Amino acid sequence: MGTKRQITEYLDIDLEKELWCCNRCGYVLISARENYKKGCLVYIRKDLNTIYNSPVKGPFGFAPDPTWAMLVEFYCPGCGTMVENEMLPPGHPVTYDIELDIDKLKEKHLLSGTDKQAKK
Amino acid sequence: MRPDPQKMLQWIKPSPPTDKELECMKLLQPGDYEIYTEKLNNFLLESKEVFLKLGVSSMLRSGDLVTGIYTPTGDMVAAWCGTYLHAVVGQIPIKYIAETWINEPTVGCKDGDIFYLSDPLYGGIHNCDQIVVMPVFNDGELIAWTNAAVHQPETGACEPGGMPLTAKTRHDEGMLLSPIKIGENFKLREDLVEMCVNLISRAPRMQAIDMRARLSAADRLRGRLVTLAQEKGNDFVKGLFRRIIIEAEEGTRHRIKEWNDGYYRGVTFVDIVGEKHRLVRNFLTLHKEGDQLTWDFTGTSPETDSPQHCMPHALAANVAIHLMSYSFHDLPVSAGIFAPMEWIVPEGCMFNPHFEAAQSNSAPSCHGAMTLGNICMSKLMFDSPQRELVAAATGNTGVGVLVSGTNQWGVPISDFLAFGLNTEGHGARLDMDGVDAYGFSHCPTGRAPDIEDIENEFQFFNLVAKLSRDSGGFGKYRGGSGTEVIYVVNYVDYALYNSHVKGSKIRNCMGLFGGYPPPTLPGIEVKNTNIWEKLKRGDKDIPTGAVQLISERTIQGDYEIGSIFKKVHIMKNGDLWVIFSGGGGGYGDVLERDPGMVMEDLRKEVISRWTAENIYHLAYDHETLEMDEEKTKQLRQKEREDRISRGMTWDAFEKEWSQLRPAEEILEYYGSWPDGRKTREIIRM
Repeated sequence: MGTKRQITEYLDIDLEKELWCCNRCGYVLISARENYKKGCLVYIRKDLNTIYNSPVKGPFGFAPDPTWAMLVEFYCPGCGTMVENEMLPPGHPVTYDIELDIDKLKEKHLLSGTDKQAKK
Repeated sequence: MRPDPQKMLQWIKPSPPTDKELECMKLLQPGDYEIYTEKLNNFLLESKEVFLKLGVSSMLRSGDLVTGIYTPTGDMVAAWCGTYLHAVVGQIPIKYIAETWINEPTVGCKDGDIFYLSDPLYGGIHNCDQIVVMPVFNDGELIAWTNAAVHQPETGACEPGGMPLTAKTRHDEGMLLSPIKIGENFKLREDLVEMCVNLISRAPRMQAIDMRARLSAADRLRGRLVTLAQEKGNDFVKGLFRRIIIEAEEGTRHRIKEWNDGYYRGVTFVDIVGEKHRLVRNFLTLHKEGDQLTWDFTGTSPETDSPQHCMPHALAANVAIHLMSYSFHDLPVSAGIFAPMEWIVPEGCMFNPHFEAAQSNSAPSCHGAMTLGNICMSKLMFDSPQRELVAAATGNTGVGVLVSGTNQWGVPISDFLAFGLNTEGHGARLDMDGVDAYGFSHCPTGRAPDIEDIENEFQFFNLVAKLSRDSGGFGKYRGGSGTEVIYVVNYVDYALYNSHVKGSKIRNCMGLFGGYPPPTLPGIEVKNTNIWEKLKRGDKDIPTGAVQLISERTIQGDYEIGSIFKKVHIMKNGDLWVIFSGGGGGYGDVLERDPGMVMEDLRKEVISRWTAENIYHLAYDHETLEMDEEKTKQLRQKEREDRISRGMTWDAFEKEWSQLRPAEEILEYYGSWPDGRKTREIIRM
């Protein structure tokens, strides 16, 4: 694991290099000070019947109405793991969902007890 | 004078301890805290049982209620939950009464007094939630307060059921009681009871009985506290109460401090405004720094001329359901949990509207925010000692199915059909599937009423009541299944029915870490059926599920498939309709689901064959249901490769995505696109 911290099911942060990495294959996504989604491959699932095979077709069924919602899927470019997804109205900005205080995180895990004392 | 909304929001936090309370804490000997905390919990359990056995309305009978103990200044000490949200807001009317009425000569407060309220502007959730509050005196000293609260499914509003979708202002919502003294000398004043019963004339029996059930529960709790004070002394009780609050605060601060500092954000969308399908959004930025959490709902859509609003304190109380049942579930259910929290709820958004706004749909309007609290806390807790508490969102559909009319016994009724309400799917967790039909999003302990009881109380026959296939969000661990119920109007010529269920266009429930959200929920009605003839003949082709009903259409009639959300309308004898409760969100990538668990789901018919093959990429023998492990591995590897090949870079995605926008019509109430800022004034009559 080295200096990596597992932050979500599929994402680590390499604290020394300040990078988001895939927890499954180690692929480096992007700077830990950025939205990790920008380092993923992104797929817009417009037809949600491909997930929710609705026996009812038309504006009301078991799949969201595509004029109301689409599913944005984020994949690891290295191994194709689906890191996260978001159900969004078409065109709604993707959420910057995890913005960690990287300096504090490094301080918490990289600095020795003496260093932490000195910093205080 | 109504309390200021910001003041009410602050009132959910505990008051600072007094010197006297700190002194009294020293009276507790080793072991006392543990023994007497448990004793209080036993008192609460007993009062809950009293409440449950004496009331009649459906949510009460399902256990969607609370009884609570509060300090003389109104801080929550302990509660039976039940409905955590009611425990939290229970503090506000007590603090209002303590500040306003105790020293008011025309009101005052003495042993045996009974206060009552239902108005969200004075600390309630919405017009339906009626709360009884009793002071607890021993040796002439006010030592505590008790309360008992439960939703009353009729308020005398402009529509049956207390939650009128057509309400434009609070004046359309029926009875709204500011805290009043409704009884003295341990007895309700019959003139005031009659006033309430008269205002709620669609269901007078329920009102009259449930008022007494609330009082009996609060009074049983009061009696137990008096006995405790007589045994141990008033100062002991004061010390015990304060110690509980301090333990909760210290435990909460310690836990928060261990988590990673940063900002955690989420957005959910709701598809109903008033009577229309319209899009609004809820936005949360959860900021964690040191031992503090700040809940900032800036970016939430503005208030509207609908009843889908709530007060800021009600929003906080609804978000607290997750805090108290997950993140801090092992700490006392007390005000101490809220000491290290701040709430930012901008004035003019749907969670902080003008005081004249209708807010009878307050609780359902919070479902998107409840999902956000759940998801942001899970992202915050993953890299922490609380990782085992990480979970996707519960169903959060709020299966408000309201029926009214005259039942088979000639009694006027207006009530919830509480089966769907109490059988939503649980969110999947990081190490297991969500619980199927786990309970009610506002009350984890709520239980679906017995079908026989429903058929005895109400003018409906339950043709089907079962888990709904493919209803939980798919994932490495799947969301708990919701349920589907088919009701048929029975015994009477007609009944009135409306539904506040959301999620026919977009769900406000989210998956987590690549787990899928659950499916949307259509509304299905069949009118002018031949169901009774078929049952009388003993036909073998009676459908056993919603999909079979609409696919095979063996029941003759006029089929209508539309929104699950329904305005109040008439259903005639033999007409039937389907209600779905939402499944929970999935957790993790579907390709990581243990193929053996997929097979098990298939055998139990929790998922369909289509889902096993197309979502989980499972290879198996259709005849024997035996899995082909090697082929499954290959299919899943192929899907991974397909993902990499169809995925776009961020820049390419942005280029395409930024060109899209929903139709203007559905953005009528959204506010500015996409950030949901207020764009117009609401003028209320």
